[in-house]
Amino acid sequence: MDIQSYISSGKLELFLLGELTEREREEVIDFAKRYPEIQQELDDLQETMFAFDNMTGVAPSQEVKEKIFSTLESDFILKEAPKPTAIPAEAKVVPISSPWKPFAIAASIAAIVASGAAFYYAGKYEERNNQFTALLQDQSVLADNLNQVNQAYDEKDSQLNEFVAGNFKRVEMRGEGFDMQKDAKVDVLWDQNASKVYVASNNLHDLSEEFDYQLWAIGDNGPVGIGLVNSGEKLTLQQMEAVAQAGAFAITIEPKGGSKAPTMEKLVVLGEVA
Amino acid sequence: MQEEQIIAGLRAKDRKTTEYLYDKYSRALYAVISRIVFDKDIAEEVFHDAFVKITKKIDRYDESKGRLYTWMANICRNSAIDKLRSKEISQSGKTNTIDDFVYGMESQSGTQEHIDGIGVKELMIELNEDQKFIVEYIYFKGYTHSEVSEEFDIPLGTVKSRVRAAIQVLKKNVARI
Repeated sequence: MDIQSYISSGKLELFLLGELTEREREEVIDFAKRYPEIQQELDDLQETMFAFDNMTGVAPSQEVKEKIFSTLESDFILKEAPKPTAIPAEAKVVPISSPWKPFAIAASIAAIVASGAAFYYAGKYEERNNQFTALLQDQSVLADNLNQVNQAYDEKDSQLNEFVAGNFKRVEMRGEGFDMQKDAKVDVLWDQNASKVYVASNNLHDLSEEFDYQLWAIGDNGPVGIGLVNSGEKLTLQQMEAVAQAGAFAITIEPKGGSKAPTMEKLVVLGEVA
Repeated sequence: MQEEQIIAGLRAKDRKTTEYLYDKYSRALYAVISRIVFDKDIAEEVFHDAFVKITKKIDRYDESKGRLYTWMANICRNSAIDKLRSKEISQSGKTNTIDDFVYGMESQSGTQEHIDGIGVKELMIELNEDQKFIVEYIYFKGYTHSEVSEEFDIPLGTVKSRVRAAIQVLKKNVARI
């Protein structure tokens, strides 16, 4: 922002005259907080206007001063007067001259007590209301959590059902024979009848942003990409694309998003189907 | 007394603080009014009401929106403008110009105020015609900048930059005196 041109726009002068719209006023206040030069200019202008007014003015007459202070007298008196604790005591001493007085006093006391109670309960109500709102918020957070847990549970449950009911074969893929990651170890679980493939990564190095691990099923027609393996999710089962026929599985490092054909120089693990 | 102390004192309805406020600012605030409302009696009446209003409304003063003086000066200015536009004054047909004001001050011969007061003339002397015009209409006749723009067919941006230029001249002169 060009602070100098903002200062010289004349907006600050109008701000001081109270002639800006609410939105523009807030803008000036905001800028003054953020830019010391603008605050400084506002201070200078206000100093100037006061000096100008003070220098060119004449003092109002003494009568006006007296009149003003006599108008304000009642405000000062209210402030300076001792606390009116004497009133109830006085009420006891004064003989009851007319029948409405005790009722009036009783009514006043009742009114005071009632107002006090009203304030007290209004305070209580406010407090309870806040607590209630907080509890509602907590509850909705808990409900969300429960939902997530339920979904995760359903997923695991259906996976477990598949494993119990299906006929999964475990294919161990290892990195020992290759240069990329000697200690890499990933298992493929394959149910040939149902064509389902899961992969569980035991040990895979983290990759930089630009690369992905890609799983290949190598069959009679050569390698087919069947999905990307998340190296972060260790020892969890990741479902891959369906494969009905394969002699071996392998993982290569490919540019992010995967490739159509494997980059053989970046073969990480390979496992033959027994 | 620091501005915060004054504000706290006013909020507590403290007599001494109110007196301090009066002594420090009454001349300047009255100047804001009397250059718009030319009649002395009416100006003093407006000043009385505005000063009482200031003490009563002090709880509504918001420090973030400007200095105490600026807030008070705007109350005075608005009260004076309201008065000027009420029937009471417009029928008397008086209009204020800088020259009237200067003449008015100079004609108050022999009063203490006259000796203390530094003439508007000295402060105005370096304003060019355009700037003088703007100061006259905005600070003496109580026009808003958009009213000046509409009535005299001057683009709003020009009004703004002339207000700015005029105050810069005044600033220089105030500092010099």
